[in-house]
Amino acid sequence: MNRRVAPAPAKPEKTVAPPPAPRAPARERPRARAWREHHSRSFRASLQRLAARPGATALTLLVMSLALCLPFLLWLLLDNARALGGHLDDARGIGVFLKPELDAATAKSLADTLRKRADVAEVAIRTPEEGLAEFRSQSGFADALKVLQGNPLPTVLIVTPKVVAAANRGAPAIVDELAHDPHVDQVQYDALWRQRLDAILAFTARLAGVLAVLLGLAALLVVGNTVRSDIAGRAEEISVMQLLGADRAFVRRPFLYTGLWYGALAGLVALLLIVGVEIALAGPLGQLTSSYGERFAIHGLSIAQALALFGASIVLGWLGAWIATTRQLSFGRPR
Amino acid sequence: MAFVAGHSGAGKSTLLRLVALMDRPTRGQITVNDQNLAKTKARHVPRVRRSVGMVFQDHRLLMDRSVFANVALPLEIAGCTREEIGKRVRAALDKVGLLAREASPPVTLSAGEQQRVGIARAIVGKPPVLIADEPTGNLDPMLSAEIMNLFAEFGQVGTTVLVASHDLNLIKRMGKRVLVLDHGKLIDDFRPQTDNVVARSATITPPPLRSGGGQEVGAKQDAGRSSLPSRPEGTSA
Repeated sequence: MNRRVAPAPAKPEKTVAPPPAPRAPARERPRARAWREHHSRSFRASLQRLAARPGATALTLLVMSLALCLPFLLWLLLDNARALGGHLDDARGIGVFLKPELDAATAKSLADTLRKRADVAEVAIRTPEEGLAEFRSQSGFADALKVLQGNPLPTVLIVTPKVVAAANRGAPAIVDELAHDPHVDQVQYDALWRQRLDAILAFTARLAGVLAVLLGLAALLVVGNTVRSDIAGRAEEISVMQLLGADRAFVRRPFLYTGLWYGALAGLVALLLIVGVEIALAGPLGQLTSSYGERFAIHGLSIAQALALFGASIVLGWLGAWIATTRQLSFGRPR
Repeated sequence: MAFVAGHSGAGKSTLLRLVALMDRPTRGQITVNDQNLAKTKARHVPRVRRSVGMVFQDHRLLMDRSVFANVALPLEIAGCTREEIGKRVRAALDKVGLLAREASPPVTLSAGEQQRVGIARAIVGKPPVLIADEPTGNLDPMLSAEIMNLFAEFGQVGTTVLVASHDLNLIKRMGKRVLVLDHGKLIDDFRPQTDNVVARSATITPPPLRSGGGQEVGAKQDAGRSSLPSRPEGTSA
């Protein structure tokens, strides 16, 4: 910073002191501008450098984007499975089979008392006639049913309990109470498989998380390794820059931007891969979901999720480059 | 301006590397611009290097960049704006007579031209100290004289110029102060003819680079002095 423009040997006392004082305030802004210019230059130059070796860049991007999109795909699958599970809440209804000899009025009054309970959300009555009609239409038993003289089906109350926080813990108390009701023949409650499904979903969620961490680490290492070899290839340039007085930040900057570009581009490729997978699976999945009727539709990546993936990718790329430069750039003795 | 002469391994390069903080002294002190380099912290090394222009024997230009970009590098590092860089790079290239080649890649230039680009890069930041390690090592005598005259010009406008060379004939013709090293010790300090030494602001203080209490590598260059001072600074480590 001790720079002299036109030294005057005859007047040595005036060479250094006067210039800095008036220049200091005016200098600040050009400095900031120079800093910004260097950033934008590094930004562009690092992209050009990637474009200069398209093969190597494409390989790095592909590995990185695969590592990024795998956990996301698993997570997406999980998300859809959860939604499916949500629709299966219907199955939580408690099937209460009343004794066959009970008449419709008793069944109705029983339903009304149940409706008044605090832990009951809804009670639906299925009369024997309705049951028979449904049986006939659905199961192709029409011929067999014709043989029957009377209607053997009982009245069924479908009780949907209010979902409480600890719903997964076990059967609600009402199940037990209904089982002991004198009017009730049998209580059917499919809690167990529901609990199993929840456990499977929780396990898959954890699996997706662990995979995301591992594969994120892989993406980090891919970028780190690429930047490391980049640094090795530009050793002379780095060494010259250091001799010319470049500080750590200046030398590191282009590599950090390289990492940033890798992250951004790999994020885009990963998004494309995910969209591709969605398109490839759309046909068979459509057939599968249509069997669930209108109530269930598969959903893909939302905008927010896509942005999150993109952002995570950029951060990983930058971080990988940062780690590589911290490890590789020696600031001791340039050649 | 002063020359550092001596055989290979005499310590010429070491001396210049110490001034540029490429190496650190194990003993003794080096003062450049009133700054004790031995006490310079690692994070201030870049700043010190920016105040020293360096010319290398193999010029060390970046071959994948144009002449302009090579010369612009020190200014980019120093944090100059684009307009300022443009102006100063052209001024520096003009000074070494290569303004017309600013867009060329260095490989298309001759050895002498490449070395002149190296010099332009060293002086573009207007450093108070300019050091050159065998800048004419790869050049023929005529080109060498041309390059040396260029250095002498910078010495004349107030830059401290320190050139290491083993080409004694050339050095003698230049008529500047010559420091002769041998095995890390100053064995001679003379001036072939009288000349105005404008060099200043670089002080190299003993003790010697090598051990032993023999003659010391020490030279203080005073502003505007035409004498040949060989007085070591009082500060011995």
